[in-house]
Amino acid sequence: MAHAKFPVEVLSPEGEVFNGEVEMVSTRTTVGVIGILARHAPLLATLEPTELRLYKTETEVVRFAQAEGYLQVGDNHALLLVEEAHPLADLDAHELRERLRVAEEEIEQAGEDTERRQVAERDKRRWERFLSLTE
Amino acid sequence: MPQSQRDVRNRITAVKNIEKITRAMAMVAAARLNRAEQRIHALRPYASAIRRMTRQAAETAGAVPSVPILQEHAEVGTVALLFVAGDRGLAGAFNSNIVRAGIAAGREHEDAGRRVVYFASGRRVASSLTFRRIALADSFTGFTDRPSYADARRIAERLMAIYLDGEVDQVEVFYNGFVSVISQFVRRETLLPLQRATVIEAGPLEEPASGARPQRVVPEYEPDAAAVLRRLVLDYVEISIYRALLESTASEHGARMTAMRHASDNAGELIQDLTLQMNRARQAEITKEIMEVVAGAEGLG
Repeated sequence: MAHAKFPVEVLSPEGEVFNGEVEMVSTRTTVGVIGILARHAPLLATLEPTELRLYKTETEVVRFAQAEGYLQVGDNHALLLVEEAHPLADLDAHELRERLRVAEEEIEQAGEDTERRQVAERDKRRWERFLSLTE
Repeated sequence: MPQSQRDVRNRITAVKNIEKITRAMAMVAAARLNRAEQRIHALRPYASAIRRMTRQAAETAGAVPSVPILQEHAEVGTVALLFVAGDRGLAGAFNSNIVRAGIAAGREHEDAGRRVVYFASGRRVASSLTFRRIALADSFTGFTDRPSYADARRIAERLMAIYLDGEVDQVEVFYNGFVSVISQFVRRETLLPLQRATVIEAGPLEEPASGARPQRVVPEYEPDAAAVLRRLVLDYVEISIYRALLESTASEHGARMTAMRHASDNAGELIQDLTLQMNRARQAEITKEIMEVVAGAEGLG
């Protein structure tokens, strides 16, 4: 059964990533995986790195690798602000593995309970998620 | 002694080649400048959406929570200076302006008894600081032609981490602010501690973009308004750095374009002068030959 469509906007600091009508948005917030359909209740959530799926129809899905960001839903409109959004084909497994290695080194070097370590752990998680999307 | 015609001709060829190169560089810089300006514009909708969200979350949370990067350290003992400039030279005073302003500020801090830690973005700045025997805590290079948000995040995370871990008590950034192609000037901003005013009352709120209507209903927060707000605040630092990188890139291309235009104009003038010199040398040679012929004829007669 076809679902009702609603407008979705995806913005990154480097410009507009997506702007159009979709049936469903699937992403991951700090709390967990979330699917947004039309007429969803107002929401403001923080997003975690994951695969962002925009279902234009049940079979036509636009996919992105999404970094941290925010999701705002209201007035039957969804706005996603993401730090990075790459089409899956643009991901470079080799480069991601290298970044992952750098992040792991940072974790080794940084002391316990430092902000530096938290930053490195956040980086590590992001690159791991992105890397899993290349497979 | 007049130069021989051949010498002058060689110099003309050389200068003409240089002129070709500088003209090409000016054109490349103009094209890149265009792109860099577009990227500054592309950031606006994102930045103002973040600002709207912050305001909304702040209203719900009641007040800005005590986020560590908003808190001033009781005593400023160590200052970190971030110099933002280019990876490459040939852009007039673009790089040296930053180095000069930054080093002067570093001296001020040292005179006031504070320790200074230097960070550089751009290979040129990094190397000129090393040349002056100023130790760099870290340098970020290889992206100044086209900085990405990930580059800005890397720098911001590093600076926030040393601030939060108490290694430094203040962070200042120096970059070439972009006003127009011919007008760029060094901007000095205090990045950390982040000013409460920049987060909450950052100028007049821009009209929301189409579709993103302000909400009247209080939304549900995941996890909660204060937590969302804490993360939003960190984004201000990243966006500030990203904007500095973008403006610096636009300024770099603008400065290079101007510098290369001047160089091409100078080359044109030089070619005119040299052509004149070559004509004179040729005339001198002809005159000399006529004199010899006349003298020879006279000798015979």
